Amino acid sequence: MSIFGSNEKKAEETTTYFFNADKDTVNQSTLAKDIKIHGSVEAKDYIEFSGSITGTLKSSTVNLKPSSYVKGTVTGDTVTVEGEVDGDIQAKDVYIKSTAKIKGTIRYTNIDIQNGSIINADLFYSS
Amino acid sequence: MDDPVVDSFPQDQDNDSKTIMVGSGVRLEGRIDGAQNADVAGTLSGTLKSSTINIDSTGNFSGDMSGNDITISGQVEGDISSENYLTVNQSATVKGTIEYASLQVSYGAKIQGTLRHRGSVHSYSPEPVEQPTENDQVSE
Repeated sequence: MSIFGSNEKKAEETTTYFFNADKDTVNQSTLAKDIKIHGSVEAKDYIEFSGSITGTLKSSTVNLKPSSYVKGTVTGDTVTVEGEVDGDIQAKDVYIKSTAKIKGTIRYTNIDIQNGSIINADLFYSS
Repeated sequence: MDDPVVDSFPQDQDNDSKTIMVGSGVRLEGRIDGAQNADVAGTLSGTLKSSTINIDSTGNFSGDMSGNDITISGQVEGDISSENYLTVNQSATVKGTIEYASLQVSYGAKIQGTLRHRGSVHSYSPEPVEQPTENDQVSE
């Protein structure tokens, strides 16, 4: 389910969405398939993203589902990519699944790549 | 005279003799071509062409390697070109350019360099055209 109105065809302006985290609960933000964002999305705990974004995604855990498309930057402690990324990925733990298509730069401490993924990228390891 | 260059990998399955093994503690430098299997547990520097390549956890390779199926558990510095499966295990450290068709990397492996997928829009011909870069630094 989209937390935004599903009839919103396209975010025309650059907008920043903040999902304020509550200390006691794990916050999960799900951005559905039909959503298109120009700007940045930031969350404390968890983003599950199936839409399309030009800009930045930032959360402790970012889960990019198979239909997702990111042009820009993805930052987190744990980033899982099942969709398409054109840009930079920066995370302590990066998991690249078989459906992923990545172009750009990956900065990581630990990386796990599955057979089938298409990666044309520069990899930078840092401890 | 003419140095026959093997540019396709030998496919005969039954020929066990086309195997090169570099044992642990052994140091070898040079160019290896036409092998079916290569198993490196020691130190090998140079050029390695083999259908199957296995760099053991104690193995250390520097130079260019190309093959169909490549498994890396040790240290590699240089260019890797795989036409089929490339497996990078947890204990591996790889520095350089990796050209692959199907890649699997286990959590914990360290890779520093560039990944290029064969058959992508951005794929490269076997003899890539050298592109001058702004900060062109040739290190040998």
